[in-house]
Amino acid sequence: MSFIEIRQLTKQFRQAVKEPGLAGAVKHLFTQKYVDKTAVAGIDLDIEEGETVAYVGPNGAGKSTTIKMLTGILIPSAGTISVGGIDPYRNRMENARTIGAVFGQRTQLWWDIPISETFSLLKDIYEIPDAQYKRNLDQFIELLGMEDFLHLTARKLSLGQRMRADLAAALLHNPRTVYLDEPTIGLDIAVKQRIREFIRASNKEHGTTVMLTTHDLGDIEDLCNRLVIIDQGSLIYDGTLAAVKDRFARERVIHFQLQSADLPALREALDHMPKVTAEKLDRQHVSLRFDRFHITASEVASAVMRCGEVVDFRIDEPGIEHVIKQVYEGHITLDEQHADKETAAGTEASRR
Amino acid sequence: MNAWLRLPRSWRAYTGIATRSMQNTLAYRLSYVVNFASSFVLLIAMYALWSAIYAGRDELAGMSWTQMKTYLIISFISNSLLSYYSESRISGKILDGSVSADLLKPLDFQKARLAETLGSTVIEGGLTAILTFIVVLSASGILKPDFIHSLLFILSVLASLMVKFGIVYMAGLLCFWSTGSLGIVWARMAVTSLFSGALVPLSFFPDWLEKLALVLPFQGIVHTPAAIYLEEVSAWGALGLLAVQCVWACVLWLCGKLMWSWAVRQITIHGG
Ligand SMILES: Nc1ncnc2c1ncn2[C@@H]1O[C@H](COP(=O)(O)OP(=O)(O)O)[C@@H](O)[C@H]1O
Ligand SMILES: [Mg+2]
Repeated sequence: MSFIEIRQLTKQFRQAVKEPGLAGAVKHLFTQKYVDKTAVAGIDLDIEEGETVAYVGPNGAGKSTTIKMLTGILIPSAGTISVGGIDPYRNRMENARTIGAVFGQRTQLWWDIPISETFSLLKDIYEIPDAQYKRNLDQFIELLGMEDFLHLTARKLSLGQRMRADLAAALLHNPRTVYLDEPTIGLDIAVKQRIREFIRASNKEHGTTVMLTTHDLGDIEDLCNRLVIIDQGSLIYDGTLAAVKDRFARERVIHFQLQSADLPALREALDHMPKVTAEKLDRQHVSLRFDRFHITASEVASAVMRCGEVVDFRIDEPGIEHVIKQVYEGHITLDEQHADKETAAGTEASRR
Repeated sequence: MNAWLRLPRSWRAYTGIATRSMQNTLAYRLSYVVNFASSFVLLIAMYALWSAIYAGRDELAGMSWTQMKTYLIISFISNSLLSYYSESRISGKILDGSVSADLLKPLDFQKARLAETLGSTVIEGGLTAILTFIVVLSASGILKPDFIHSLLFILSVLASLMVKFGIVYMAGLLCFWSTGSLGIVWARMAVTSLFSGALVPLSFFPDWLEKLALVLPFQGIVHTPAAIYLEEVSAWGALGLLAVQCVWACVLWLCGKLMWSWAVRQITIHGG
């Protein structure tokens, strides 16, 4: 049994339908019309202790909803969750002792008391032993650079300061599992770096299981060894970052440096190759964009070599950001995939 | 699993919350002063009003002017014990959605709110009570009860606090059900003022209304402590009134608990 087990997890929200205008508002008073919105549509997921999982997808995909169900503050409409043997909803309080959560959009700090007081209140609430509290606090202050705002109330903090304080607050009791919902949203690069460093240290030192949602691909590359992509409430990918790159990075650009070239012959040859377009085409330089699921690099290369003398060549892969963006913008879907299973590490998402 | 045995582990968390709430109240000294001043103005207005009503009369509804003056002060103290601020804090949590942060903590929501309320009461209410008592004891023409009644009075003030908390807590939770929280708060205040005897002593009510008021929990907030202070009942009678208050406090606590579990269902189904 995995540390976190999610089976057929589903959440439907009832959304009130209000017709526009005054008439609509009046009508709503008498006839409440609702639609069911499926935010999470039957997700299966297993996470082992100590894993760092990036949970990504476009806005409205159902990421926050999933995280909220994992923390026990939302009840699933169907399906089951077990985190370390605990059902987070049924045993919300018990679960709360062993988890830490940060919702980037909303602080959990007490608005009116200084950050340092918040920490010492958390010490009382989680019954953190003195030694552990002192050690963690010192380390967190150092790692997150919090000295200069410890005495301020949460109300007075900047976004970056608030997020750091929120993160420290969530990890003070050494939770076994940490859920981070967009922990780096709106932060500058220096603060992002600090936060990533901090999460990484916690994972390494305590074996904390980390699940984070983000739109920042830097977060994924720096922190996560596993990538789970969801869209419209369903898993569309579950595997390593490297594998997603291999699977979805189908477009490549190959650049040749030539001594001499028979350009008309090359143009002629290009017309006969599927999905190959010329980015650049002159006597010295030829750059061709191709889809590696339709033609191999060696096929492209040999076609060029037949029409000229190649001195040097290099292949550019698209950046991972570009790839993931395309995945969840729907430009690439699993249906289009050719069977290149050798590159797909990890479990394949079941699709429905 | 024995969650039952493990969960109510220690009081540390709740005393911690109460302490922070005290600090918080101290940090908002100005708001306290404003609060105190405005309820003091109200006290003076009530005093003026009643002295006009009593002009040329010895007694009204069985109360002498001296008793009435004393009553006004008791009512003032017991009203200031649980401030509007504490009340708006509970409904505020629900309205601004920060209640989901509370759900993430291993805390019992009701106990945490009580700890918070008691914390600020120790500062706000305590200060008011002390200030008022100094005035009362130094002023002439205000009644002072005997020792037993004083003791019972203090106990009944504490019980009245629990009754008031029970009512305020439930009114706060009602905000889940209705979006117009201010309306609920105002309605709650109006009903409480009327039926507790804060506005007019219950003995001034028409017979049927007085009977109704006496079977409702609100009377435990002002009427009971005042009756004990004014020695309208014997020591034994006072103990009886105290028992009624305590029963109400428990009943309201349990109702609050039920209401919270209903509210949690709403939040966890519909999202906070
Ligand atoms: N409390 C709610 N009531 C109704 N609909 C909701 C609620 N929370 C989320 N939704 C809907 O569920 C979908 C998924 O939302 P969410 O999980 O917040 O997405 P993400 O975090 O991936 O951007 C969205 O369409 C959103 O409108
Ligand atoms: Mg979200």
